[in-house]
Order: sequence, then C-alpha cells, then structure tokens
Amino acid sequence: MAMDITKSMTTAASGMRVQSDRMRVIAENIANASSTATGANGQPYRRQIVTFKEAVDEATGASIVRVDRTTRDTSDFKMQYNPSHPAANADGYVMLPNVNPLIEMTDMREAQRAYEANLNVVDAARNMMARTLDLLRRG
Amino acid sequence: MDITKLPLFETMRERMAFLSARQTVLAENVANANTPGYRARDVEAPDFAAIAAGENEGNLTVTNPMHISSAGTPAGNFRIKDMPDAESTPNGNSVVLEDQMMKVSSTQMDYATVTQLYRKALAMLRVAAGGQR
Repeated sequence: MAMDITKSMTTAASGMRVQSDRMRVIAENIANASSTATGANGQPYRRQIVTFKEAVDEATGASIVRVDRTTRDTSDFKMQYNPSHPAANADGYVMLPNVNPLIEMTDMREAQRAYEANLNVVDAARNMMARTLDLLRRG
Repeated sequence: MDITKLPLFETMRERMAFLSARQTVLAENVANANTPGYRARDVEAPDFAAIAAGENEGNLTVTNPMHISSAGTPAGNFRIKDMPDAESTPNGNSVVLEDQMMKVSSTQMDYATVTQLYRKALAMLRVAAGGQR
C-alpha cells in the first residue's frame, strides 16, 4: 500500500522531469529565435519539438513517462528582405528560423501547468503517507 | 483476536488500499498529460458495503498454509479501466488536468477521512478493552 504511494511519487517525478526537459527545449527555441545561417548557403535554426511516451521504470515497476524523441519542425522558414545580411541569398532574402514566439509561449504555459499538476500529485501523495504514519502516533 | 480481521477494519484497510491504487493511477494520468495517444484511466471501486456487511461469510477457511484462500487478496487487486475525461486533444490524449486534480484532491480527502475513522475505531476498542483514553 505504501508501495503504491511511493510509486505515484515516482510517476509524478517522471512527469516533472519530462516537463522540465520540454521547458529546456522551449528555452532553446526561444533563444535561437533569430539564429540565422552564417553564409548564403547555410540554413537557419530549425525549431525542435519534444514528444513523450509511456514507459515502465525497471527499478520500481512504476509506470512513468519518458521523452520519446526530439524532432525538428519541418515547416517553412520565414523570409525577410535584407540584402546586406551575410546570409542573404541572390535575391536579397534572408531565411529566418521557423520559431513562432506565440507558439513557444503557449507551449511554455502548458509545460508550466503540467509541471504544477505533477507537483500537486506529489503533495497529495505525501499527505496521504503522512496520514498513515500518523496512525502510529498514539492511535 | 486479530483486529485487522474485523469487518470494520477490513473495510477501512481495503478502502485505503483502493485509494492508494487510485492515487497511483491518477499520478500516471497527470504524468502523461501530454503523451500523444494516452487515454486517461481510473480504478474501479470495489463494493465496500459488501465487505463491511457480510464480507468473507461464504469463503473457505484456510487451516493450512498450503490451502488456497477463496477470498481475494485485498491490496493491489483492483480493476483499472479506461476513463477518458470530457475532452481529448487532436493527438488522442484524453487527460484533462483540471478533472484529474479534482480526483487527486478527493482521493486525498477520502484518505484523510478513513485514517481519521481508523484512529477513532481504535480508540473505541481501547475504551472497550479498559485502557485509558
């Protein structure tokens, strides 16, 4: 029984871990929002996307969540007319990363919310455990 | 006399085991709140009234460790079923964090109630046994 509560803590902790991984990737995206190529033939920064999958923790047997893989967003780059830029092509256009700050912001909020939810679960599990231990104290 | 075998205590024990199992399943749901294709789950509640009322009446008595008990093992023997929340995202995930949070806090509150009840029942037994409160 107490094992169940520990398991739910392991699960919630894995949830927090993947959400912070997602947060890191979002930070990388935002930080690189204007990382263009250095030469005319290069490519600018391509937005990264994280996906999750269900897994089982071998040590405890708890069902957890893991980062499945980090893929690249295949959408088109933005084009900006800026002939003096070192990465400008023959027509004077510069390819800018396909990072949309609005999408990153909503993604960040979602990650934040999911992280808080996992934190709440840890708190609830800890409270339940404390209640059980309380039974030992002068029943 | 084994007090954990009393129907009242047995029911409370079963209830606590059920709530812990449910908490684990809810933790899985919340952790997978952004996993594509994940379907929210919940634990099916056993019939606590039956356990409290007659419980193991019809079960075979175990007189030898080699015997197989006909009573189900209480802890960790609950049925987990799919229980998708009201809406699902385009990637097939059916976890709504708000709904899960409601379930988590109600589980927590129920657990607190049961442990409190357990404590009271123990105190009552102690009074009956003549000890000071």
